[in-house]
Amino acid sequence: MADLLQFTITGITVGMVYSLIAMGFVLIWKSSGVANLALGQLVLILSWITYAILVQAGLPVWLGIPIVIIIAFSMGWIIERFLLRPLIAQPILSLIAVTLGLSYFLDGLITFIWPWSVDALPRLFPQDTIHIGTAVVSQEYIWAAAISLLLFTALSLYFKYSRMGIAMRATADDQMAVQACGIPVTKIFSRSWMLACAMAAIGGILMASIGGIGHGLIDTGMKSFSVVILGGLDSFLGAMFAGPIIGLAENLGGGYLTALTWPGVKEVIPFIMIIIVMMIKPYGLFGEVRIERI
Amino acid sequence: MFLPAGIRNYSYAQDMAIFRTKTQWLLLGLLLLLLLALPSFLSNYWLSVCNIITITIIAATGLNILTGYCGQLSIGHAGFIAVGAYTSAILTGQMGVPFLLAMILGGLMAGLIGMLFGLPSLRVKGFYLAISTIAAQFIIMWVIKNWTNVTGGNIGLSVPTAEIFGYSFTSQASKYYLILAIAILVIFFAKNLARTRPGRAFVAIRDNDLAAQVMGINLFRYKLLAFFIGCFFAGIAGSLLAHCYYGFLNPEFFDFKESILYVGMIIIGGLGTSIGPIFGVILIRLLDSVLSLEIVPFLESHVTLFTSGWASGLKPMIFGAVIILFLILEPRGLAHRWQLFKTSYRIWPFSY
Repeated sequence: MADLLQFTITGITVGMVYSLIAMGFVLIWKSSGVANLALGQLVLILSWITYAILVQAGLPVWLGIPIVIIIAFSMGWIIERFLLRPLIAQPILSLIAVTLGLSYFLDGLITFIWPWSVDALPRLFPQDTIHIGTAVVSQEYIWAAAISLLLFTALSLYFKYSRMGIAMRATADDQMAVQACGIPVTKIFSRSWMLACAMAAIGGILMASIGGIGHGLIDTGMKSFSVVILGGLDSFLGAMFAGPIIGLAENLGGGYLTALTWPGVKEVIPFIMIIIVMMIKPYGLFGEVRIERI
Repeated sequence: MFLPAGIRNYSYAQDMAIFRTKTQWLLLGLLLLLLLALPSFLSNYWLSVCNIITITIIAATGLNILTGYCGQLSIGHAGFIAVGAYTSAILTGQMGVPFLLAMILGGLMAGLIGMLFGLPSLRVKGFYLAISTIAAQFIIMWVIKNWTNVTGGNIGLSVPTAEIFGYSFTSQASKYYLILAIAILVIFFAKNLARTRPGRAFVAIRDNDLAAQVMGINLFRYKLLAFFIGCFFAGIAGSLLAHCYYGFLNPEFFDFKESILYVGMIIIGGLGTSIGPIFGVILIRLLDSVLSLEIVPFLESHVTLFTSGWASGLKPMIFGAVIILFLILEPRGLAHRWQLFKTSYRIWPFSY
């Protein structure tokens, strides 16, 4: 029974971080219709940048994290300006392929700068364990989940009340109408990439401070694809709900199925869920069902 | 030098022919002669590079049918290649099935698995389908890594050499001829497929699947057919990869990055053209072998500015940059450039 509680709590808290990263994906998809398959690599490279700033340059955390966020913003701006802007109005295949090219490039760049490929971030959160009932949970997970929830709330408020947030929602709804109203759509695109990169950075930092930096972070990015598929590609709420579901499925499955099947079943459960969701409910739990007309 | 410019055709058959003038037949003959003579003046290493190029052309042609003609993006091609490779290796190694039969069965197996993961394509498209093929890649590789008593898992699996009617293909040159023969068949099939009913249906589905359905094209049938053909070729290529190139199998050969590279190759070559994959594969694979044989070791030992091991990051960086640059600067790929060159050659000295 202690196991069950343990898996549940870990699953839900890790799932919250997946949600945070997945929200970056949904943001870009909603505003510009680009599927960002380089998400995993973005998460990884931004955690490495955090490592460079906190460990290699030795800056304190209160100064280092804002610098990382600024770097993430500029990275998002650069990617949008130089890779996606020239491809506006190209078929979706090119848009997907360009992010694949980007993921390949970033992979190389990471090996280029940090060839040793595994390292640890300084612990950002207190490590004392918390006892919840019979389960023993590391406090870091609770912190990660709380920060994700906080950011989700902040983002919701941003989209609801700020001018830019409203413009972004409008762009997601109808690009043509927004252009006709005189809102600069390209600015919205670059803003959404900047925000998505910042979310990837925070997600990466949260995951890396718990589990260290390594290629596993790319898989974290990949898992957030299953979050967006389950939640629905165009739904923030969906991403927020689907993250914990995927985290739960992964941890419960990993906990109970490993003995029955093969090791590593935890890593493949999100992908099996993708296939199942796509066969049963292809547009996800909260996604808008598209009806096509000619 | 007569190329088809300003020639009259007197019958439909003449008009439809792939090779319409004697010069073209002559050029084809010369090309074939060159390809056949290649082993006599290449070292074993470069011959093996030719082998991997030719095998990759087979797989990329399959992906091109699926993605270039039918418009169903697959980012799990390396997974399907792995299915073919392992099926054929297990059939020959553990059950004593003859190589040719095992190769075809490997292709069929890959085709069937491809169809299974292609099923979501009936309800979703674009990015959703791309994600489901990524899932296919990860699920297939997970099964291969963990089904240890059949596939050998991470330790690997040794593969018997290819053998047809008692002749075993051990030298690089003999492997080269075998692969070349199969590749020619595959390219010929792909070239003609585009001119048949299924091929035209694929193009219609790619351009607008709703309109295609309204015109009476059975989406269910043709999308799955595209998945089957694309993955069948992947399986054939996988079998050749196992028997004629690596000689043993390891899950690392069929990494997710390899799948991305396949998509990159057909984009660089030019989607939806039969010549495109050939150009793309030659460019990427040559770049690959030149980089890993000459440039990376040289830089690694001479430039000590960066942390040791940095140079192995160069190759992915260059590949990624090439894919991105082609998408931005020449989205129609090398095949388009080749077409421009041919046209300007034909009408020379006039500009149009």
